[in-house]
Amino acid sequence: MTDPYEVLNIPSTATDEEVKKAYRDLARKYHPDNYHDNPLADLAQEKMKEINAAYDTIQRQRGGRGNATYGSQAQQRQSYYGGYQQQYQQRAGSPLFQRVRMAINQGDLATAEQLLGQITDHDGEWNFLKGTICYRRGWVDEARRYYQTACQMDPGNGEYRQMLNFVENGQGAYRPEGYEVFSSGCGEGNVCGRMACAYLMCNLCSCGGMRIFWC
Amino acid sequence: MFGYVRPSLPRLTEEDKGRFRAVYCGLCRTLGERYGLPARFILNYDLTFLAVLLWPPDTGEPEHRRCIAHPLAGRDTFTGNAVLELAADESVILSWWQIRDALADPGRGKARYRAAAAALKGAYEKAAALRPDFDRSTREQLERLGALEAAGCPTLDEPADTFARLLAGAAGEVDHPVKRRVLEQMLYHLGRWVYLIDAADDLAEDFASGSYNPLIRRFSLESGVLTEEAREGLVVSLDHSIRLMAAAFELWDFGAWSGVIRAVVYEGLFGVGRAVLEGTFHAGDGLWGGAGRKEEPL
Repeated sequence: MTDPYEVLNIPSTATDEEVKKAYRDLARKYHPDNYHDNPLADLAQEKMKEINAAYDTIQRQRGGRGNATYGSQAQQRQSYYGGYQQQYQQRAGSPLFQRVRMAINQGDLATAEQLLGQITDHDGEWNFLKGTICYRRGWVDEARRYYQTACQMDPGNGEYRQMLNFVENGQGAYRPEGYEVFSSGCGEGNVCGRMACAYLMCNLCSCGGMRIFWC
Repeated sequence: MFGYVRPSLPRLTEEDKGRFRAVYCGLCRTLGERYGLPARFILNYDLTFLAVLLWPPDTGEPEHRRCIAHPLAGRDTFTGNAVLELAADESVILSWWQIRDALADPGRGKARYRAAAAALKGAYEKAAALRPDFDRSTREQLERLGALEAAGCPTLDEPADTFARLLAGAAGEVDHPVKRRVLEQMLYHLGRWVYLIDAADDLAEDFASGSYNPLIRRFSLESGVLTEEAREGLVVSLDHSIRLMAAAFELWDFGAWSGVIRAVVYEGLFGVGRAVLEGTFHAGDGLWGGAGRKEEPL
C-alpha cells in the first residue's frame, strides 16, 4: 500500500496540525467544485479517494487523536462523489432529459446532443444541458451563453447559477497558497475593481433569483 | 505558435529559471542540428513550454555547451533527448502550417511570410516525413479553420477549437494514458487561449485590412477596438481556459517542472492576457514579471 504520508506529501514526523493542513489543501485542490463537468473529473475523484484514504489511515494509526470529525467529513466527501450521478438523475424532470444527463456523465456527447435535438421545448433545462455539452468540449464561450439563457429562464435554479458563476469568475476554483485571484481583465484601477465587485455580488445573490451581470 | 506563453518570473526559483532556459537552448540546438540555421528562428517560449509539458520524468541534468548566440560564455543546455526531437519536429510542422495559413489570408502582408516559407520548406518536408500523423492532423485542423474563416464563422469556440485540437494532437505520442489525457486537456486549452489572445492582439490590424477575426464577428464590432461587453466576454473565455489548464495540471506529477508550469498556469498567462488587452504586450519581450511588467529576456 502507498505510504499515506507520501500521498499527503508530508514527513511521517508531521504534527497532527500539519497533517490536517496538508489534507485540507489537497482536498481543496481535488474537490468536485473544482472539476464541475470536467472531462478529467474521474482522475480528480481518484485523487480525492487516495487523499481521503491516506488521511483516514494516518488518523487510525495515531489513534484518532487528530480530529475525528474531519475523518467523517472525509467520508462525506467520498459519498458526495459517489452520489453525484444519483443526484444528477433524480433532479431531471423528463425521462429524455435524464437520458441526456446520463450520456453526458458517460462522456458520450454525440448521443447527448442527438437526444437534445429531439426536444423542441428549449426551456431552462434544455439550455443548461446544451451548455454542459459545450463545456465538456471546452467551448467555454458557447457554454456561458447557454448557461446565461438557462439562468434567465429559471432564475431560482441553483445548479444553473453555480455553473454560470464557475465559468464567469472561477468561483470555487483552486489556486495555490500565495497566489492571488488573477484575471486577464484586471488592469490597474479599472476592470479589477469590477471583477471584485462581480465576485461579491455573485456570492451574495446565491439565494436570490437574479442573474448578476458585471456591475 | 506565437510566443505568448510566459512563466511569471517572480514565482521561479533560480533552478527553475536555469532549467527553463536549458530547454529553450536545447530546443534551439536541436532545431539547428536537425533542420539547419533558419529553423532556429521559429523558436519561442510557447514551443519551449510545449517541450516542458512533454518532458519525460527522468531528464538528467543540462550540460554546458558552446552556443551560436552566446559564443563567449556558452550556455547550459539539455541535449540529445527524444522530447526535444519531438518538440523540434512538431514546432517545424506547426510553424510551416501557420506560415501557409498567413499566406492564404488575403488581408495580410505577404513578403515576410514568403521568405519564411522558402526558408522552412526543406525543414517542413523532413519533419512531415518523421511525424506524418501530427502533420496530417495539423493540416486537417488548419483546413477546417480556413473553411470557417471563409464562411465568416460568428463564434469564438469553433475557430478556436481547430487550433486547440491541433495543439492537443501534440500529446498523441505520449505513452502513459493518464499523462496523455492530462496533456490533451492542457494543450487543448493552451491552444484555445493562444488562438483567442492572438485574435485580440491582431484585432486592430485585421479590422483595418478586412481580414477575418473571430472577435469582430462574435461581438459585432464596428471598430478595431473591443467594446466593454466584448472585452468582458473575451476575458471570461481566456480566464476559464487558463483555469481548466491549471485543474488538469494538478492531476499529473510534473516533477521538477511543476514550478515552471505553476508559474504559467496560475499567473503568467493572466499577466500576458492583461498586457495584450491593454496593448502593452510585445512578443519579443522576455520572461513575464508577474504583475504585467516585462523583465529581462532569457
